[in-house]
Amino acid sequence: MSSHASTVDPKKAELWDTHHHSHDVISTRTLGYFLYLLSDGMLFATLFAAYGVLSYQHSYFGGPTPAEFVKPWYTFAQTIALFLSVLAYGFGMNALKHKNKSGLINGMLAAFVLGVVFLVLDIHDMSHLYSMGITLASSGGMSAFMVLTQVHATHIFFGLIWILVMIAQVMTKGFTEETVGRLLTLRMFWHLQAVIWVFVYIFVYLWGYIS
Amino acid sequence: MDIKWRNWLKKGWRAAALAPVLLLGGCAHNPYWIFDPKGIMAKTNLFYLIVDVVIMGAIVGLTALLVVWFMWRYQKGKNRGMYDPHWSHSNTIEVFVWGIPIIAVGFLSYFAVRGTFEINPYNPTVITHHMKPNGDPVEVDVIATDWQWLFVYPQYHMAVANELVLPVHTPVFFRLTSSAVTTTFFIPQLVGMIDVMPGMRTKNALLSDHAGEYQGIASDYAGAGTSWMTFKTKMVDKADFAQWVQKVQQAPGSMTYASFNRFAEPFINVNHHLVYFSSVEPGLFDHVMTEVMRGKTWPIPPMMTENMVDYMKKQAAEHRD
Amino acid sequence: MLVDLPGGWSPLLGRLAWSQIPYANPILAPLFVAVVIGAIAIIGLITYYGKWTYLWKEWLTTVDHKKLGVMYIIIGLVMLFRGFIDGLMIRTQQVWAVGPHSSGVFGSLHGYLTPFHFGQVYSAHGLIMILLAATPLLVGFMNIIVPIQVGARDMAYPYLNALGLWITAAAAALIMISLFVGDFAHNGWFEYAPIFEMQYSPGVGVDYWIWTLQLVALGTTLGGINILATIIKMRAPGMTWGKLPIFVWASLSANVIALTSFPALQIALALVTADRYLGAHFFTAGMGGNLMLYTNLFWIWGHPEVYFVILPAFGMMSEIFPTFSEKPLFGYITMVLASMAIAGVSWLVWLHHFFTMGAGPYVNTAFSVATMLVGIPTGVKVFNWAFTMYRGRLTFNAAMLWAIGALFLLLIGGLTGMMLAIPAINYMVHNSVFVVAHFHSMLLVIVYAIFGSVLYWFPKVFGFKLDEFWAKTMFWLFSAGTALVFVPMYMLGFMGMTRRLEYVFNTGWQSYLDVMEFGIVVYTLSVLAFFILLYVSVRDHAKNRVGADAWGTSRSLEWLTHSPVPFYNFAVLPHVNERDEVAWRRQHGIDNVRPEHYDDIHMPNNTGVAIIMGGLTFVLGFALTWRIWWLCIVSLLAIIGLMIIRSFRGDPGYIITGAELQRMEEEAYRREAQIADSHHSHPVSGGVVGNAMAYQRNDSSK
Repeated sequence: MSSHASTVDPKKAELWDTHHHSHDVISTRTLGYFLYLLSDGMLFATLFAAYGVLSYQHSYFGGPTPAEFVKPWYTFAQTIALFLSVLAYGFGMNALKHKNKSGLINGMLAAFVLGVVFLVLDIHDMSHLYSMGITLASSGGMSAFMVLTQVHATHIFFGLIWILVMIAQVMTKGFTEETVGRLLTLRMFWHLQAVIWVFVYIFVYLWGYIS
Repeated sequence: MDIKWRNWLKKGWRAAALAPVLLLGGCAHNPYWIFDPKGIMAKTNLFYLIVDVVIMGAIVGLTALLVVWFMWRYQKGKNRGMYDPHWSHSNTIEVFVWGIPIIAVGFLSYFAVRGTFEINPYNPTVITHHMKPNGDPVEVDVIATDWQWLFVYPQYHMAVANELVLPVHTPVFFRLTSSAVTTTFFIPQLVGMIDVMPGMRTKNALLSDHAGEYQGIASDYAGAGTSWMTFKTKMVDKADFAQWVQKVQQAPGSMTYASFNRFAEPFINVNHHLVYFSSVEPGLFDHVMTEVMRGKTWPIPPMMTENMVDYMKKQAAEHRD
Repeated sequence: MLVDLPGGWSPLLGRLAWSQIPYANPILAPLFVAVVIGAIAIIGLITYYGKWTYLWKEWLTTVDHKKLGVMYIIIGLVMLFRGFIDGLMIRTQQVWAVGPHSSGVFGSLHGYLTPFHFGQVYSAHGLIMILLAATPLLVGFMNIIVPIQVGARDMAYPYLNALGLWITAAAAALIMISLFVGDFAHNGWFEYAPIFEMQYSPGVGVDYWIWTLQLVALGTTLGGINILATIIKMRAPGMTWGKLPIFVWASLSANVIALTSFPALQIALALVTADRYLGAHFFTAGMGGNLMLYTNLFWIWGHPEVYFVILPAFGMMSEIFPTFSEKPLFGYITMVLASMAIAGVSWLVWLHHFFTMGAGPYVNTAFSVATMLVGIPTGVKVFNWAFTMYRGRLTFNAAMLWAIGALFLLLIGGLTGMMLAIPAINYMVHNSVFVVAHFHSMLLVIVYAIFGSVLYWFPKVFGFKLDEFWAKTMFWLFSAGTALVFVPMYMLGFMGMTRRLEYVFNTGWQSYLDVMEFGIVVYTLSVLAFFILLYVSVRDHAKNRVGADAWGTSRSLEWLTHSPVPFYNFAVLPHVNERDEVAWRRQHGIDNVRPEHYDDIHMPNNTGVAIIMGGLTFVLGFALTWRIWWLCIVSLLAIIGLMIIRSFRGDPGYIITGAELQRMEEEAYRREAQIADSHHSHPVSGGVVGNAMAYQRNDSSK
């Protein structure tokens, strides 16, 4: 049995690329960034797995459990802040489509401010816990709680820095291929963090409150 | 052809590796502990080893021969075999190369499942189905420290450090925990491994009909003293065992919770000291586990064994017996 | 600070202190002197020959995937050598320290390494060999070959590629410096909970281990993104998925594993970091921690990781076998499916690394069956290679010998792996040297594939072949060493010898250990043969020059370019018509058709940012290890700052005009004609004994 038969006539075959396929810079960047976000998603998946294993009664070692200190409405305010931030960024991207530089910058500024609100609420919450003596050294369960929530918060923090950098870049360079590509990848990142937050809110705060 | 001879030589080395299998059930001093089981658990393990090696060995051996034959026959310039430069697909061959491994894995899966339940350390059916109604099982609580083994016999309220003595024809059920770090309890000729973990309780079981002295090993790295964390396991007649129990119950030493804390301090048992404890505070095993769960540790000093000679002097000076 | 630190801490130097430098150690002190002398010599030579500018411009700031790949391979070979020395040290300790009457020197009771040092040697050996030798070697090959095989000019992200290299180099530097400043981890390459906690590992060793691994993980993830994006987006026109070279498929499946599994490692390490740095209780025995969680998280990465390293090796074998059988690969489609199946099922088997942890018979059997299932596609590959050889015309040159050796080692490793997959057997040999011999057999499959690939692709990258005689000598010596070390090791496993013994308590094992020590001597001779091979090949390189199709029977697209490959890879991107494009063109006599027209092409600029970033990550890793907090903050800010500055600067690249390209191409074609002529007038190339170069059609094979 022979291999797949040669379907191209060697005499007429095209041997060299003469059609000048140009290189799509933006989609190459967004594909690569999407792949990175897959790995970031895996990061959180692993953290959730660790949290799952360390959220049994004995993981809290008789100490405080989320049911005792979690404030779902307070944390819901964080959720609202983050979602509004994503929405603001979305409006900014809409302005980008209409080549509206000031609209974009306004959207990003609003996204930044709302993101800061999220972080401030989070830091306030954590320092309140710390003042009550609830730290990540309290028990295995608390370690998991703190690390999962704060790894997400750290992502938000770096995202905020990135938003500032992008505002500066748009103001100085305008809508170049690179700048637009970066705005698209930042949008992907920001959306993913919001999605992860949904899981954090449901599985850590809500479920913790109920159990 | 040089190539063919040299490849046969290479294969020959590998075949030689399997030759020791011929030493099964062999001489009195068989160095192959895995092939010389003296307990029902170890014997069962060996059975499954043989089954697996026979099935896989047949497939691997035939494949190796096939490859060698192709190498010889299709060598360039020798014109022994037909050259077909376009042949690269055959549904028949695909069916075989996927099918035979699938069937083999099917067979082996059956044996794997059966075997896992038979020697399950928590409830080995080879032992529980072998239990004789008049054979009262012996219970042993095993507490591993850095780097000693404490074998507590709760039925006799006594303990021995670093040597395990058990009666033949009697099922033995172990509960195991560790005070400091994870290691593994292993007696090659009697029973397979089970991890020993701090703050946790694992189980194991053994049953042997052969009196003798066997080697026990801590087979998971647990720190500087692991190489010396071996223990002799003596299977003795029931009468001898009863005598031995009485002897231990007259030993001067006793083990309380407080003295256990001292016992569990880092100690490299280079000289294989045995210690006998005629009385053991009841509930020691659960106490150790609970203490560890509360966060008790026995820390290791930095660079402890950077110089072993100096460290051994220090250790001896601390009046450890 | 933050946790109780044995040994003190100062704000300026963290845990760093003079006592952390082993200046009295009889092995390390002379080694340090030798390293310093060597470094001075190298720096002196470079200065004397005035090569600093060349080094900086051509190598240290390059973004060319081929040069980056070569540097990955250099890192891999250097670390392979260091890992080999560590292995030699392990064997020597174990052959010496047998029985209570064995002698001891250098403060050791038996042998010459105390437990403190022996633990570091085998932990470094394991970590280096898997992650700093095998992985960079494989990544290096993927870097060099994948873009050319898909017909691209470079990787999708050239700067990211350079970044990945220098981060990997930083990781290698971190583990190297742990020799002389502080200590390395003592508890094995994968560590255990809770022995890695501060109470049981009070030194900086585990911290070095954490940050070395984190850097390697970061570099590999970045590299994975690059290779995947290149394969997805940068294929030459006409190269559909069904025409992808098999090595590219292997790289694809391997990097899917890398991208998705390394984050699990990074989190496992981060949680260990939280325990050691912040007093968390993820993996402590008490306070609600779960030490089994570490083992699970680590091996969820650990098992896909071993498939990440072996799939490219399988891909390499799949390239070598067809070339030297002068036939296409048998069962291309099932090979691809098998690679994907392996990548997928590799996620379902991690528990087989700790059957003895007591998960219960239902869980253990589930993972046992899954482990055996993964053996099926692997077996299929072996048969496919065998049937590639069937009805072929086999040339047994050194590259082919390595590939065949890898195949036989896979049979042994696979057999022993199937044994380990069954818990009933596993309970007897877990953590014994039987397991050590098994995974070394598997890792040797990778090593053999890598050596075969070095011989196979060296002519493509450098333009001349390596010396056949010394290559074969190295092969036979290396294989003899393999047999002498690992056959007795399997036997010792059945005797009950467990792993990581600093002191070997059973004198009955002495004779086997003696044979293994002799095996290491033979391995050392093979390393010597390797150095001679390099010297002789470079010395004779003028006689062994090759053209584009170095072997005459090559099949895939990289053999269309010149040898050595020009920095732009293809002046005009080829249009791909068939799988095994070069074989197809050669078969139809159109392999010498040149493009008619050369257009301008756009190339990325070199940049010094990548190597500076690498240096900064090294400083950050070092500062984190020693808990020098101010330095951590400074280097982290510098890294972020540099990233931001670079993103503002961007890189417009530069243009090579079509005329310039045409000139360079014609030069290359002229050189190739000269090489072809010289081989026809001198039938036997000097200094080469054994199988003739395949394309010298006048010569008969040996």
